[in-house]
Formats: sequence, structure tokens, C-alpha cells
Amino acid sequence: MQRLRSATKTLGVAIVAALALVACASGSTTNQSSEPVKLTLATFNKFGYSDEMLAQFHKLHPNITVVQNVAATSQAAQDNMFTKLAAGSGLGDVEAVEVDWMPKLKQYSNLFVDLSTGDTKSRWLDWKTQAATVNGKLIGAGTDIGPEAICYRSDAFAKAGLPSDPAAVSQLLKGDWSNYYTVGQQFSKANTGVAWFDSAGATFQGLANQYQNFFEANDGSVIATTNPDVKNAFVSVLNASSSSSAHLQEWSTDWNAGLANGAWATMLCPSWMLGVISGNGPKIKDWKIANVFPNGGGNWGGSYLTVPKQGKHTAEAKELALWLTAPEQQIAAFVTTGNYPSQVGAYSNPALTGAVNAYFNNAPIGQIFADRAKAVTVTPYKGVKYAAIMQAVQDGLTRVESKKQTIDASWAQVVNDIKALS
Amino acid sequence: MTTSTVVVKAPSRRSLGLRDNLGRWDLAVSPYLFISPFFILFALVGLFPLAYTGWVSLHRWDLIGGELGWAGFDNFTFVLQQRQFWVALRNTASIFLISAVPQLIAATAIAAALDTHLRNKTFWRMSVLVPFVVMPVAVTLIFGSMFGERYGLVNRTLSDIGLGPIRWHTDPLASHIAIATMVNFRWTGYNALILLAGMQAVPRDLYEAATIDGANWLRRFFLITIPQLRPTIVFVIITATIGGLQIFDEPRLYDQNGLGGEDQQWMTMTIYLYKLGWNQLNFGRAAAVAWLLFVVIVAVGLLNLFFTRRIASSEDGRR
Amino acid sequence: MSVLASIERRRALARIEQRPGAIVYGLLTFVLIASVFPFYWSFLIGSGDAGTLSDTGMSWIPGGNFLHNVRAVIENDSVNFWHALANSVIVSSVISASVVFFSTLAGFAFAKARFRGRRGLLVFVIGTMCVPTQLSVVPLFIAVSKFGWTGSLGAVIVPGLVTAFGVFWMTQYIAQALPDELVEAARIDGASMLQTFWRIALPVSRPAAAMLGLFTFIMSWTNFFWPFIALNQSNPTLPVALATLQANYFVDYSIVLAGALLATVPLLTLFIFAGRQLVEGIMRGALKG
Repeated sequence: MQRLRSATKTLGVAIVAALALVACASGSTTNQSSEPVKLTLATFNKFGYSDEMLAQFHKLHPNITVVQNVAATSQAAQDNMFTKLAAGSGLGDVEAVEVDWMPKLKQYSNLFVDLSTGDTKSRWLDWKTQAATVNGKLIGAGTDIGPEAICYRSDAFAKAGLPSDPAAVSQLLKGDWSNYYTVGQQFSKANTGVAWFDSAGATFQGLANQYQNFFEANDGSVIATTNPDVKNAFVSVLNASSSSSAHLQEWSTDWNAGLANGAWATMLCPSWMLGVISGNGPKIKDWKIANVFPNGGGNWGGSYLTVPKQGKHTAEAKELALWLTAPEQQIAAFVTTGNYPSQVGAYSNPALTGAVNAYFNNAPIGQIFADRAKAVTVTPYKGVKYAAIMQAVQDGLTRVESKKQTIDASWAQVVNDIKALS
Repeated sequence: MTTSTVVVKAPSRRSLGLRDNLGRWDLAVSPYLFISPFFILFALVGLFPLAYTGWVSLHRWDLIGGELGWAGFDNFTFVLQQRQFWVALRNTASIFLISAVPQLIAATAIAAALDTHLRNKTFWRMSVLVPFVVMPVAVTLIFGSMFGERYGLVNRTLSDIGLGPIRWHTDPLASHIAIATMVNFRWTGYNALILLAGMQAVPRDLYEAATIDGANWLRRFFLITIPQLRPTIVFVIITATIGGLQIFDEPRLYDQNGLGGEDQQWMTMTIYLYKLGWNQLNFGRAAAVAWLLFVVIVAVGLLNLFFTRRIASSEDGRR
Repeated sequence: MSVLASIERRRALARIEQRPGAIVYGLLTFVLIASVFPFYWSFLIGSGDAGTLSDTGMSWIPGGNFLHNVRAVIENDSVNFWHALANSVIVSSVISASVVFFSTLAGFAFAKARFRGRRGLLVFVIGTMCVPTQLSVVPLFIAVSKFGWTGSLGAVIVPGLVTAFGVFWMTQYIAQALPDELVEAARIDGASMLQTFWRIALPVSRPAAAMLGLFTFIMSWTNFFWPFIALNQSNPTLPVALATLQANYFVDYSIVLAGALLATVPLLTLFIFAGRQLVEGIMRGALKG
């Protein structure tokens, strides 16, 4: 009984002590008058903002300290951002946003600070700023972009009797998507044991980004179910995929293993995909990059830095966002992570123009992606429902690829699912 | 209840006074004081979210934009007419049955095994809890990799021994089995230990008496252990039902999209509500699904309780 | 007791207490292998490199990289490993101690006390477990930020201080394991409810309380989503900190799994202590009278 008494006493003291500890640790927001400011920078994946870079900012603005919070994935960051927007507090001073969820935020542009001052808008590629502008207000400072080229396996091409050096392949694949599929048929007939592309879903993404109004009209109304372009793209990709696809859904464990085992010969390659290919497939030695893309050019992915209005130091946060996206910093990030810059001023930098990727057999990636970025002509309009519609279509593509449904049955279900979104 | 020999002191003669009144007061009020910490905290972190979700379900409500107007029961009627809702319900029931039934049988068997006179009891008892300790990210990574249709270990092994590959993601039932495996992996040991705790409280003299009467271990198990275990079994079935119908982490991490499959093969109710709320930003409809799921859980829970009580009491002559 | 009866009793005891046979050990060994297998596989990948997870020809012998990967985890700048570890220890300890204490308190009342509304309130407690919590994140975050706790450990600790599961579990256990006669006897002896709780209910519930404590500790240790929302990088718990290892387009899973295994070590050490509590019920002694 004595032991019990003292045990419970210790328990009680422990609980009180811990609660006191918690209370002491909770006071983090100091409302000191004007000088020392602490900014939180929330990013995900790898933006390339190293400690050295942030220390550099501190040198330029001695009263500002920057703390970086990194979420693991874009999805986690998105969940976090939406929760805190809903709750009205808790966001960082600068929040990174991926272009995929930017449309949802554009609806609430009043919650974000306008980042355009004077000439800031023209610093970026046109189509990059357009995707983050609402009624003339720029809510996101562009960080990186994902200009697409075609990555291909030179040995597999050679085995199939196709030309295998980058210049020749660029010629071969120059044209539209039908051309891409036709070359694919040719390749598949040669029976190399390797598929032409990884999945209908991934290929469809490339297609979708080339239309101004693919799923939605400029007023946000849904046209996906009636737009003939959408259905044609759906059917044509699936027709091609029956003989050309490895049927491996992007980002799945099977897809990762597919990269490791060299299961397909070409894929749509935005600049950030290079690290994925080289990381997953260290044993594959014949990947090269062709400076070409069906129908000219396309962009896939890319992010922005936003400044939520709920923050306490929006002026300083705006400074930080604009500084981090300036050409010098974008080049520094490129060097560490391969994220391709989006500011025009960065494109003449020798660190970029001379950049070469060893894994891809010394492909001149600086040059290639600069060309591909210039070839992007269309800014696809993406409204609030874009991501959900794309998900419904992707599901439809996968259902056909996994032989669960015919093309028509799957399309019918896609239409129903899209209608249910309203 | 249990019988045992306890020496009871004869009540001493005291006059009715302050002490007795305090005693009566203590008897009347203490229970409420004892349960109040739970309810106070719950009012703060449980009741408020519940009420909030209920309120949201009656409105058109965008996750970021907030309240967009009264909707009455529109969200509920809309959701009940969706094909995806019923698919989710089917999936939830299927995964629940495939996981809960084998799991509880296995847990009981394991608990019985652990209740015997093992050498190194601590080692064996803790070994069944190892799966519970493995972090979810590792479990889902390993199992996701194992159940990959093209390159996964399971299918490769199946082809090695001459059987065909199983479509672990494409086929609904196969995906349910894979997910149930993950769930069972994590929770079987946990439930086994709960049942073990209950088994340990069964008084020894009952077993002695039965053995003297000639019962072997099988009869001892079914005639003594199980009936004595009734409160624990009820507990395990209720918590397994409530938890099983709300499975979220395993189906969510089963593929890279986290939405239950392209044809909603393994989309459970909680995944469906997550999809409505976070993916489509339709907070109102998501809240409606949450409350409909609540009704389902309560109904199934009560059903389970009813059947368990009937089965347990029919085996046990005492009550 | 007659000689015959005591011989019978001794024989019965011997039969009950005999060492279990092959079936039991066989079953337990099977369970052991099934439990440890994914654990071992994580270790295999954690001791390999980035390509090991996708490697279909992976061998079953660990590579030599484990310590190297562990160092990578601990020294990673954005992970903040030791700080996160300390936070997790604080959070999980406080939560499990609190849950055990308050659940036993409430469980004792629900199981052994007679009071108005007992049935209804117990049903209410169980009912609260039936509402899905995926959406509660938003209102909970609103509540927590009103109190100004976001970013501090309080945001993670306070919502976890008492659980319906704990209350339900202790109620069932105490109802079964603590005989009414003992409680009555204590009351007749003049003990108050609180004294009865200290002297009788707590010792009797020790195995169940140890179990509840262990389970609660593990669940709060591995909890990810709420701490991720409520805390931030400068003050994370371990799962939140380790998640940053996955922050990349291409994820090196050998490091991620090495980190996951590392996070499990404290739990395994806890096993050794908690295990002793679960071995022999004190109950048997208490009941023999």
C-alpha cells in the first residue's frame, strides 16, 4: 500500500510536471514591436532551399530569420493547407503550392497577398504567371516548371531498328500524337520484349496540357463530357495502349519496379522526372533525352510560393517569396535538385545552359529544357473541378488498361462520375 | 459472478452520524466525479467536432470557402443516390468480415496458447505484439510491394509454384483480402492480448473442478473459458466492429492515389468521405457520409452485441 | 479436505499446469514468424540502398548499409531526430499515464458503482467511438488554435488525455475481474470510494492497466496525421519528423525504412518492461483469499 501511495504520488507529480512543461513550451509567437521577424517557409518534396540559401537571405535582411517546414509529399502539404485555410489560421508565412491545386486556391484569391509589384510579372514565362493570376492579381510566385521532352531507351530503339541518337529521334518523333503512336506500333512489331510507353494515364496527361479549354470553359463550367477533344483523346490513347503500353500505373510500386527492370522504351519527361528515372533504375544505362515533344511542347507540374493573408508579416513574406524565386536562387535550386527555373532571367545563366546529366548519357539538359519551355504555347485553363475531373478520367483509362471494362463502358462511367461532381 | 472465500468482518456498531452521512454522500457523488474527467475532456475535443460535423452536414459547405447556405437533408439524399456510396458500403462490409472473423478466431486461439504454462512467457506474449509496433509507413510499403501485380513477391512466388498471378489491385475481392491481411497483421496480436487478459482473470479453481470431473482441455476451453470470457469477448467484438467499419489507413496507403482504386475496388466508407471532403472540397456531403456511417456502425454494433449475448448465454448455464 | 479429494486436486492441478505440447508451440512459432517477417524485410531494405525495394532479385541476407542509413537519418537536417524523439517520449508518456489513470477511475465507477444514468452514460461513451474522425481535424484544429496551442505539444497531448476505448476497456475488465464482495467488504470497513479505488481497484486492474498503457503508448507514438497538422517542423513528433525523409520526387526507401525501424526501438525496449506486468495476473493471488 505504501508503494502504491508513493507510486500514485509520483504519477501525479509527473503529470503536473509534464503539463507545466507543455505550457512553458507553447509560448512561441512573440509579438515584439517591429524588429526581429521569424518567417515560416512551408515547402514539400525538394525545393532546393538549402540552409545556406536561407542564411544568405538573413544576411540581406538581418532582422528576418527564416525557418523551413518540409512536408513529405504534395498531398500531405495540400491536406495541411486546406485544413488550415478552413480553420482560418496555422499556415506558414510563405506556403508552397503545386500547380495542380492552384485552381482550387484561385477561387479564394482574397485569402492571398498580391505578389505583383511593377515589373515582377514579366520576370516569368507568360504561361507560368497566367496559371496563378486572378483578375490581374498574382497570387503565386513561380518556382519551377516541368517542360516536357521525350526520354527514350537508345538500345531498345536500336534493337527495334529505329534510329537511336538524340537528334535522329527528335526528327522521328516530331509531329503530332498520331505520329508518336505510329512509331510506337512500329516499335512494338519488332518484339523487343519492352513496351513503348508506361501507361495510357501518363500519356494522357501530356495530351491534356496542350489544350486551352480541355475540361472546363473559361467561366469554370464543366465541358469535359461534351468536348469532343476529350473523348477523342481518351479513345486514341487507349487504342494505342492496347499494343504499346506496359499497363503500369504511374507511381505505383509496380511502376517503380518497372523502371528498375526497364519495362518500357519511351516516356513523357518533364524535367523533374529525370531524378525519378535515374533513382529507380540505376542498372539501366541507355536512357537518353530527345529534344522533341508531340505537338510541340507541354508543361507538367511546377510550383508556386504563395503568401497567405492570415500571416502576421506579409510584407516580409512577400520579400522572401520574390527573392527565393529570383534567377540566382532558382539556378542554385536547379543545381541541387534539378528543378527547372521559371524566370526568364535564369535562362542565359551558364550554369543552366551548360548543364549536362550524366545518367542520361550526358544529355544537355539545360539546352533541351530551355527549348522545350519555349515551345509551350498553351496555358491550359484549370478551374476548381479540374483535379477531380482528371482523377475520374484517369480512373477510366486505368479501368480499360486493366481490362476491366471496354472503352465505351468506361467512358460512360467517367461521364457519370463527372456529373456527380456538381 | 466469481465466487471466492473472503472473510467478511461483522459490521461494527456505530451510531448514525456525520461519518455515515459523508459515506452516503461519497457513495452518491464519487461515481460522477470519477467519470467526469472523461466527459469534460470529451466535451472539449469530442463533442465540439461532432456537433460541428453535424452542423456542416446540413449545409452546402465548401472546405475552404465555408458555409454556402442551408441544405437540409439534401446532402444525405444526394449521397444515398450515388453508386459510389453503395460500392463503398459493400467494400467496407466485405473487408470488415474478411478481416474480423478470421482475426478474432485466430486471436482467441493465440490467447489460449499464451495462457498455458509456457517457458519464457514474456517473450512469447510480446512477440505477438511486434506487428503492432511496426510503423504504418513500413507496413504499407512492405505489403504494397508484396502485393504488386506485376513484380510483387506474392505473385512471383505463385508463378514459381505454377499458379497464376492474382490481380491484387484490379480485382475487388483480391484487394479486400490483401487489405484484410494488412489489418489482421496489425491487430491480431493486440486482440489476442486483450483476450489473454480476460482469460487470466478466470479463477483456477473452476478449471480444477472441471478437471477432477474428467474434462479434457477442449471441454475446459468451451465450457469454462469462453463463458467466463463473455465480457471480454463482447468488448473485443464491439471494438473490432467499430474499428473495422472505420478502416482508413490501410486502404488509403494501398496505392499511390489513396482513393480506393480506379473502380473503387477497395474504397471504404471513410475513404469515400475523405474523397468528398478533401478531394472534392465538398465538406457538406462528406459530413453527411460521416453521419450515415455512424448510423451503420451503431446498427451493426447492436446486431453484433445481440448475437454475442445470445451465443454466450446459451452456452453458459449459470446465468 | 479428505485425502482422496486432495489427491484428486493435486492430479488435476498437475494436468492443468503441465507444459504445453507441440501444437501450442507450433502455433506460436508460426505467429512469431508471420509477425517478424515484415519487420525483417524492412530491415533488409533498410540495410540496402535506394534500389533495394524494387529489386526483384533481392537476397534475404542483409546488406551492410544499415548503420550508414541510420546515421543518414539521425544527421539529416530537416529531421531533427533527437528533438522529435524527446517530443514523442513526452507526448506518449503523458498520454498513456493519463489515459490509464482516468480510464481506471471511470472504469471503476462504471463497473462497480450504482448511480443514476450509469447505463446511459456508458452507452454514450461507446457511442462516441462510432463517429468517424476524418473530418474532426478541421473543428479540432479550430478549437486548438483558439486556445493558442498550435505548434506546441499541448495540441497533441490534450486531445488524447482520455479515450472512450480506455474507459470501456477498464470498465469491462474491472466488471469481470473485481468481485463485488471485495468492494462491499471495503465499504463496510468504512473505506470511501476513493480509498476503495486506491487500495483495491488499482492493484486488481494492474494487468489490464499495463496493457492499456502499452497500447496507448504505441498508438500515440505511431500517430501521424493529427500531429502533422497540429505541430510543425520545429517541434515535431517522431513520425512527423521521419516523414520528411520522403520529401522528394524519388524517395530513397532504404533510408525511410531505416528511420522507421529506428523509431521502433524505443517501443521494443518498452516491451521488456511492460511484458513483466502482463505475465502473471495478480488477480489469482488476490482472489484466493
